[in-house]
Amino acid sequence: MTNKPPGRVIDLDLHLLDRQVVDRDGKFVCKVDDLEFERGENGALYVAKILVGPRARAQRVGGRIGVWIRSIAERLATEPMPTIDIASVIEIGSDVKVAASRDELDVDPLEDWVRDHIVSRVPGSRHASK
Amino acid sequence: MKFLQIALGILTAIGGFVDIGDLVTNGLVGARYGMSLAWATVLGMIGIVLFAEMSGRVAAVTGRGTFDLVRERLGPRAGLANLIASFLVTALTFTAEIGGVALSLELATSVNYLLWVPLVGLLVWLVIWRVKFSLLENGAGLLGLALVVFGVALWKLHPDWGSLVHQAATAAKPPIENLPSYFYYAIALFGAAMTPYEVFFFSSGGVEEGWSKKDLMIERANVFIGFPLGALISLSIAACATIVLKPLGIQVDQLGQVGLPVAFALGKIGIAVALIGFIAATFGAALETGLSCGYSIAQYFGWQWGKFVKPREASRFHVSVLLTLLVAIGFVLTTTDPVKITEYSVVFSALALPLTYFPILVISNDPDYMGEKTNGRLMNGAATIFFIIITIASLAAIPLMIWTKAGQ
Amino acid sequence: MRASDLIGREVVDARGAPLGVITDLRCIQDGPLRGTQASLRVDSVLVSRHHTGKLLGYDRRDQQGPWLFRVVVRRLHRHLQVIPWEDVTDEGPPLRVRR
Repeated sequence: MTNKPPGRVIDLDLHLLDRQVVDRDGKFVCKVDDLEFERGENGALYVAKILVGPRARAQRVGGRIGVWIRSIAERLATEPMPTIDIASVIEIGSDVKVAASRDELDVDPLEDWVRDHIVSRVPGSRHASK
Repeated sequence: MKFLQIALGILTAIGGFVDIGDLVTNGLVGARYGMSLAWATVLGMIGIVLFAEMSGRVAAVTGRGTFDLVRERLGPRAGLANLIASFLVTALTFTAEIGGVALSLELATSVNYLLWVPLVGLLVWLVIWRVKFSLLENGAGLLGLALVVFGVALWKLHPDWGSLVHQAATAAKPPIENLPSYFYYAIALFGAAMTPYEVFFFSSGGVEEGWSKKDLMIERANVFIGFPLGALISLSIAACATIVLKPLGIQVDQLGQVGLPVAFALGKIGIAVALIGFIAATFGAALETGLSCGYSIAQYFGWQWGKFVKPREASRFHVSVLLTLLVAIGFVLTTTDPVKITEYSVVFSALALPLTYFPILVISNDPDYMGEKTNGRLMNGAATIFFIIITIASLAAIPLMIWTKAGQ
Repeated sequence: MRASDLIGREVVDARGAPLGVITDLRCIQDGPLRGTQASLRVDSVLVSRHHTGKLLGYDRRDQQGPWLFRVVVRRLHRHLQVIPWEDVTDEGPPLRVRR
């Protein structure tokens, strides 16, 4: 086997944060709203999870608006903050491709709610206008 | 086959160039300033050509919509500010377009425009919900070609071409008009030609139609040939107003007056064609602005968007469009004059321009996104000059609006 | 710990003098395998006087674009420092480095 090539350099804010996450079928899932680290040996930090949703985003928006977004989001939230384990990521390019399907990832309760309670009730919602 | 595709794209771009903002502003300006502000329309046209080319190229190469990339480059905080500003301007334009369709239908049927508003809203929603994207785009664009009747009318009126060209070339502002209002309307014309939604729509539309690098030639043909020819229609509208309305001292404050020169030159048939053009242009623009409102929100948050998937797979996108539509309809139904709404929408468009164009300029230069298809030197030089121009226009917009009391 | 905790955090040197703020975290993909990819290890911290964000990129040698941009980017980032993660003595806030 050849020597391991030097690892790829990725600047988190420039290359990873705010990128579109795309599922294995090419469907848009969410944005990388924030990232969570875990500790390795010698105090090293490794990227562990992608954080999704307004609670994740609020801290990055910052300022008073960020605080506002966060308090509203926490009040409305019924589940813990959605995350995507970094292990699901199969490619980081101009977007972030993950191995699972959007439904499996289940990071978007609002989208599902809107779909089930509003859009599904309107005739024609299952037809792609192709 | 490729030739047909290119031709269709160009024709659609021509017919789709003009919206209610162009109709009203060019008519108004022609009646008041003659051709002395033609330079503003031409400048706006060059600007939109540059930025549409960049955003279309970005879509073809990255497969991503503009707002998607705006957040990536600006970050969530500045991106949110950008979203709010762009969304509000686009929603205002959406409102103006719906008012425009209703006014056009009133002209055609003598039924009060307010009664048409709910029907127009329903039709806009239905088309966005069900009609295939390319059909929607091409249909409205081709029917919008009916506005070429203004060029025909101009011809028939046997104008003093020399005088028209002289007015345009020397920017000969009528002596009784003051400079601040003159520049206020220059900014309005600029905003009418360079509407921010055009950039979102063109790039998102490129993704809807599945553009890839192979389609760059079509995209460029649409932009470099279609848009300038579309601007010729705008100039014809202004010229017609210059020849017919200005000598009679008619100030344009109703949509019908814009079409008066066509009635004069071509009679009933001319009017009928012009009305088809008005309805098609405003309806098409209503679809584009409505979709753009959805595109910008969905792309900032990372939701699935677009008509290229089933509606139930882009639920929040469609609901966003619907909610914006309801608010727009509500606004028009407050009986605020749609022409006034239009006049404000073009000035606010000019105000928001730098926000929407700056990220495009940055992204189209970034090799991480564009590979080798980044901007060339010429494009960058021109785009930078334009960026400075639109920043000046944007900074001057509100002060001039206040100073001249919106163009008195 | 989240990326947003660190990005924007003030950085001081060993004596406590301010060096700037964390503008970005430079990672290298050479950690243990997670899923199909090696994990991203925080290798160094990009520190700048102003938090201008990522709009114009950083210290790209091949910076393209309008001349005006290149001039602006060079000026904004002339104080950009790349500090290895090993030199961080205290994660803070503020982040303290061995300098």
